[in-house]
Amino acid sequence: MMISGLVVTLAEDPRQQTLALDALRRDARIQLGEGAGRKLPVVVETTTAEESTALVEALGCAAGVDFVDVIYVDFSGTSGAGA
Amino acid sequence: MERRDFLKASAMAAATAAATRAFDKESHAADAPGKDDVRWDKAPCRFCGTGCHVQVGVKGGRVVAIAGDQKAEVNKGLLCVKGYHVGLALYGGDRLTRPLLKKDGVFKPISWDEAIDIIARRALANPAGFAVYGSGQWTIPEGYAANKLVKAGLTSNQIDPNARLCMASAVTGFISTYGVDEPAGCYDDLDRCDVVILWGNNPAEMHPVLFSRIIDRRSRGEEVTLIDINTRRTRSTAFCQHALTFKPNTDLAIALGIMHLLVEKGTYDKGFVEKFCNFRQRTEPPTLDGKAMTFEEFRKALGDYTPEKVEEISGVPAEKIRLLGDLFGRRDLKITSLWCMGMNQHTRGTAINDLVHGVHLLSGHFGKPGDAPTSLTGQPSACGTVREVGTLAHALPGGLVVTKDEHRKEAEEIWNLPAGRINPKPGYHTVEMWRRFCKPADQGGDIDTIWVQVTNPGQSLPNTNEIFYPSRKIPGKFLIVSDVYPTETVRNADLVLPSAMWVEKNGMVGNSERRTQQWFKMVEPPGEARDDCWQLIAVARRLFELGHPGMKDKDGNFLFSMRKDGREVPVWDFKHYYDINVDQQLFEEYRKFTRFKHKDLAPYDEYTRARGLRWPVVQQKDGSWRETRFRFARFDDPYAVKEEIQFYHSVTKDDRALIWFHPQEPAPESPDKDYPFWLCTGRVVEHWHTGTMTMRIPQLRTAMPQAYVEMHRDDARRLGISNGEVVIVESRRGRVEMPAWIDGRGQPPPGSLFVPFFDETVLINRVTLDAHDPLSKQPDYKKCAVRVLRKEPPGRTP
Repeated sequence: MMISGLVVTLAEDPRQQTLALDALRRDARIQLGEGAGRKLPVVVETTTAEESTALVEALGCAAGVDFVDVIYVDFSGTSGAGA
Repeated sequence: MERRDFLKASAMAAATAAATRAFDKESHAADAPGKDDVRWDKAPCRFCGTGCHVQVGVKGGRVVAIAGDQKAEVNKGLLCVKGYHVGLALYGGDRLTRPLLKKDGVFKPISWDEAIDIIARRALANPAGFAVYGSGQWTIPEGYAANKLVKAGLTSNQIDPNARLCMASAVTGFISTYGVDEPAGCYDDLDRCDVVILWGNNPAEMHPVLFSRIIDRRSRGEEVTLIDINTRRTRSTAFCQHALTFKPNTDLAIALGIMHLLVEKGTYDKGFVEKFCNFRQRTEPPTLDGKAMTFEEFRKALGDYTPEKVEEISGVPAEKIRLLGDLFGRRDLKITSLWCMGMNQHTRGTAINDLVHGVHLLSGHFGKPGDAPTSLTGQPSACGTVREVGTLAHALPGGLVVTKDEHRKEAEEIWNLPAGRINPKPGYHTVEMWRRFCKPADQGGDIDTIWVQVTNPGQSLPNTNEIFYPSRKIPGKFLIVSDVYPTETVRNADLVLPSAMWVEKNGMVGNSERRTQQWFKMVEPPGEARDDCWQLIAVARRLFELGHPGMKDKDGNFLFSMRKDGREVPVWDFKHYYDINVDQQLFEEYRKFTRFKHKDLAPYDEYTRARGLRWPVVQQKDGSWRETRFRFARFDDPYAVKEEIQFYHSVTKDDRALIWFHPQEPAPESPDKDYPFWLCTGRVVEHWHTGTMTMRIPQLRTAMPQAYVEMHRDDARRLGISNGEVVIVESRRGRVEMPAWIDGRGQPPPGSLFVPFFDETVLINRVTLDAHDPLSKQPDYKKCAVRVLRKEPPGRTP
């Protein structure tokens, strides 16, 4: 289990924002917080660290998303790094 | 509440606090993440020079969580993808855990006592041929100890850091312009400027948290114009209103073109220039002082750099040069320039640094919040440990240099050395050190031992086929490496020492904005791994025991003698190393040096409470310590007292800065018919430097598993290369194979290639050039001539 807290910066265009929010709500791994302007706090829960990274990368490239900042990560439930 | 729910609540609280803080900059920082059975403490991130603070969560003796530090002014709770995974950098499966000595080509474990004795005896046998090659990743106390060992003890000055490869030209640029090193401004400029100019800089990938700070302003509705002056389109370009792609090595012409317009249109800041600046031109051979020129001579020299001429030289349209000239000519805007390796790794590195400072000085875009020429560093303590502690071959701590009698005298007094102990002759700069290590003694190879700490020169030196690998075949050359993981350098070493890293030891670092940061040890290192600083002190002590006279001060005491309650603590014995805070002892001694160049630091304890303080840090009448955000500006810098701006270390001793003229010149190597492409090397967001740490973090390795060569679609089509096809990139010095990436993350123009250097299976520095700037001695990793070859199908003779 890997839990991360992110801040998603949404695009300026309201239509793009709606697209992004719809996509985020459809993903069961993502819990949305209360937005502040274009800043949306979210929590991501994934089974593995690799899945978490892939999801964060995908979020950064998604329509209606300008930027993703990572704020918090707990990896105590993962097996750690490997060589 | 279940642990899972608790963690999710903590993650949401942290993200919400950061989102609110980013949206409402007046809101207050939140505390550390929620408290359960995890113990949290502060530390700066281990990776780049931005200097983000993280909160490190420790449980059961392991780092188990990382959070952006809400109290940190630098990152305001945000982290990038690397910072997010920094805790995992400790836990690669192949950590080095025992000292290893190579015998008959095979590493065999040995004891620490044996390892320390071997090093000491190498140094004792030939002190002048024993060099230390360090790093901008050394902590401040580590670098200080290494510097003292070499300059006060061995008295050879044979010490240089890898930061020679990343920011030496920034140093010479600051010194030749202001008479003293390091930026006047700070990150606060990013919150106040109207225009940000990226000079060959890609902060979206290299300094993402700083870049996010700019983008945040836009998301709050503020207008910030971003201009990207580049040789290839990057992730940063996508956020910029203007992208100016220039032909490699023509950036000087662009800066000269801006100056030309300011002077000819009369939009330069006449009042600022007349009051605070002198003009300078270079001499042959070049020096940091140059020779004086008048404004009229300066104007005449700029005459060749019309926008049309600059277009012809650089490929940047004349109207874009005019755009830059117009922006700098406006007094109502605040302009911040950012640069890093793109300007520094340059055979004209000092010159382009001088010119960008000159553009700001000439236009008066200096000394007000938001108006600043600011170089960024790539390593967490390139500023703190290299530039401030003075681990460069010619330097002493605090901005002093070995070549000046009065500076050596000051250092001898602080170190309690007999007069005349410090050698006035600088040691070898990095390229020269390694070049001499790669030559037999009878051919000028007078360096026979190099001790590497906290860096990976086998992968990061330029032109390694000539200045790294040959040493490995010369009898009598001995390479010692202290590191945490097996790297290309470790594999080629004769003796390997396992080191503690990051929060496995106490530490202090200094970031790009003059901010000194501190942390405490939080977890134990694995196996027998030990602190780099202890390794240096232990070798010094062994030399003391073996009778090396340099290891005693003038009273006969050990050079690193530390006392507690009146009794000497045997810190050279690792059992007792943490009986006293060695970092604090070394730092308090180092502090005495920092007053000479007005780089004053506060007592150690002040840093234990702060998320870093920007020097000069000066004590107030009430006993508190106040940091300085804007240097040389009377409204903030306590040492600027005469005028609103005072360059109090002025080269010309009149409180003025220098505006230089440096002409455009060709590169030492350019594409030709045999090697028709420009090659530029650099980094990617997922990996840091040679990937020693980040390639061991599965998430980062998965995200970016392998180096590649970026090339333009037209070039690929012409050569018949398809996306992902493995090709050969070859220069006159070496060749490597890697997949081609067409229309990838970065997009070089036709005729240019880009290869990142993080991948130890693609050693691109077998290909690069070791030509360097004549003053900074920093090599040019951004420009050399190469060709791209398709691999012949198996069975065919090439």
